[in-house]
Amino acid sequence: MPGPYRVLVIEADIREAGRLLRLLRTCAGGEPGAGALELAVRPDTATALADYLQLRPDLVIYGPAAARDAAAEDLQQLRGRAGTDPVPILFVRSDRETLSSACLKTGCDDILFTPYNPILVQLKLAALRRFSHFNRALQAQRIRIRRSHADLLQEQASARQIFDKLGHESCLDQASAIRYHLSPRAVLNGDVLAAAYAPGGKLMLLLGDFTGHGLAAAVGAVPLTASFYSMVPKGFSLGHILREINAKLHRILPSNMFCCAVVFELDPHKRHIRLFNGGMPRACLRRRSGDLRLLESRHLPLGVLEEAWVEEAIVHIPVEAGDHLYLWSDGIHEAHNQRGELFGEERLLQAVIEPLAEGRRFDHLLNTVNAYSADQHDDLSLVEVALDEVSPVTNAAEVAVDTAAQRGGIGDWSLNFTLGPEELRDADPLPLLHSVLAQVPGACSFHDHLTIVLGELFRNALEHGLLRLDSGLKQTDRGFTEYYRQLEEGRRRLREGWIRIQLRCRDRGASGELEVVVEDSGIGLRGASGSDNAYSGRGLPLLKAICREVEIQPGSSRVRATLNWGEAVSTESLHP
Amino acid sequence: MMVSERSRARVSSELSESGEVLTIRVSGSFDFNMHREFLRAYQNFSPAPKLYCIDLSETLHLDSAALGMLLLLRDHCLDTAEDGLPCIELQNANEHVANILAVSNFDKIFKVR
Repeated sequence: MPGPYRVLVIEADIREAGRLLRLLRTCAGGEPGAGALELAVRPDTATALADYLQLRPDLVIYGPAAARDAAAEDLQQLRGRAGTDPVPILFVRSDRETLSSACLKTGCDDILFTPYNPILVQLKLAALRRFSHFNRALQAQRIRIRRSHADLLQEQASARQIFDKLGHESCLDQASAIRYHLSPRAVLNGDVLAAAYAPGGKLMLLLGDFTGHGLAAAVGAVPLTASFYSMVPKGFSLGHILREINAKLHRILPSNMFCCAVVFELDPHKRHIRLFNGGMPRACLRRRSGDLRLLESRHLPLGVLEEAWVEEAIVHIPVEAGDHLYLWSDGIHEAHNQRGELFGEERLLQAVIEPLAEGRRFDHLLNTVNAYSADQHDDLSLVEVALDEVSPVTNAAEVAVDTAAQRGGIGDWSLNFTLGPEELRDADPLPLLHSVLAQVPGACSFHDHLTIVLGELFRNALEHGLLRLDSGLKQTDRGFTEYYRQLEEGRRRLREGWIRIQLRCRDRGASGELEVVVEDSGIGLRGASGSDNAYSGRGLPLLKAICREVEIQPGSSRVRATLNWGEAVSTESLHP
Repeated sequence: MMVSERSRARVSSELSESGEVLTIRVSGSFDFNMHREFLRAYQNFSPAPKLYCIDLSETLHLDSAALGMLLLLRDHCLDTAEDGLPCIELQNANEHVANILAVSNFDKIFKVR
């Protein structure tokens, strides 16, 4: 039900005013269902202005006498009071007078002629009234939209706060080798960035892009980061983490939503990266020479299918001095200039190639894209990692616990575990060992080193002892991929065999010794030296750098490594 | 006016005489705005078509929301298939669109021609 229709008549002549009011009432009466009419009379513009906000008219009519004297400024002032509401202003004129252009210049909207023709006046009023109702509805909608937009912004601000906190677990701001720019609209364009150190000093980083925009796209980041930050520090492998995230997103997200992601694991000791790209634009590895290696998507985005065959999609790349890795979301490709031309990959790569002093390329890339882009919507996410400069970081909190534990001593203990084909096929035994060791008081004092040693020895037993894979394959990029393909296949087919892990700890007060023995059911290593040595890669030098002693016997499937603590074995000494 | 521009159909569909092949053509930018129209193009066919051809010859761009819509169509097919799996074919994609399909590896779950 529309409110009353308010008409303000400005007329000093009482008889004219009375005639006009009677006419308006008659017209309103002849228009069924039009709603109530509220009439008000003011003698001149000044009093009309004074009472305007209280009257809030929908229509203003200058009577014949007032119309003669009305000036353009009077009308302007009235319109000023009306604000954004368009309130029509009518003049009453005698048709005997000729219309002067001065009358038009006052800016009135229409004219009623005397003597009045009630039918014509009624028609005109009805039209204006429809116009006024339409306008009111529009205004009401505008207010509603404004309100809900303000609510939306408020919700988005809250969402941002939540997501900022989610990111707090990341190590992005601790590592100087990583530079990143995440769109300020990241939460709502679905971009997500996470990074954490795995035990043993490996760095894992993920840049993802969820389908669509808005809160729905943002929500997916919650389960993703939850899995990532809980699994990485426990030592789960890259493949395992990817499979878990894929399965979780598939379960949680509606089927038209998924997450494109590029994820890599950097091993700063062995100086290589393993990278997975599922649906993201090609990542770019820039060598010091300026050569680029593009790492294209080799897998469906995460969350599309229930199962993922991620191992086949992971590429392995040895890290060289001066290597920089660039990751970006498609926002950077899709930045467009005023003519609507996309920035595109070619321009981006051109900017990466440009020879610049180290440390300046990241800003150069951002500036180049921003200079090109027509709108100031910053919708791009960019990550630069100086692969060569990432150093393993020990968690400060761990060190603090460490000294406290050392005062109390670590104690003497031993652990034995045997893994059968069932566990070796798809389980990741290292996180299990970590969770056991986490219960051992003081174990964190050698946690990182033990992780590296266990990882090396376990992989060696599995890959060379049980599966008899040839390390020589790893000398070429293609071979690397083939090697991991054979590894996955071999594991899937494993029906017999075992790996035994023994840990023995001897506490000597301020220092101590940890013995790690890994044994497998294979036929033994083919000679500790020579061209077919299973430890031909970076494995052995790494073990030797950490351990006081590494004992490998030719023809034996048993390897013993001894770690000491309390003596200076720092991570720095690991760098060649 | 805006309203009439928007309602101009950019998704068209055609059922073969035998009722076995449904061809859906998307022209212009295949993105979130096409959501409703695309859904309407393949729903409520009884019996369900055996082959869904998505003609991309007039598709200029395709975003991740569009990929999501293709996944919905895939689910729809799995739900409505009576005998054997109905097949979805993505046809005539231009270089740009084909590249998007390749980057996302959608060629692994859809037949692309």
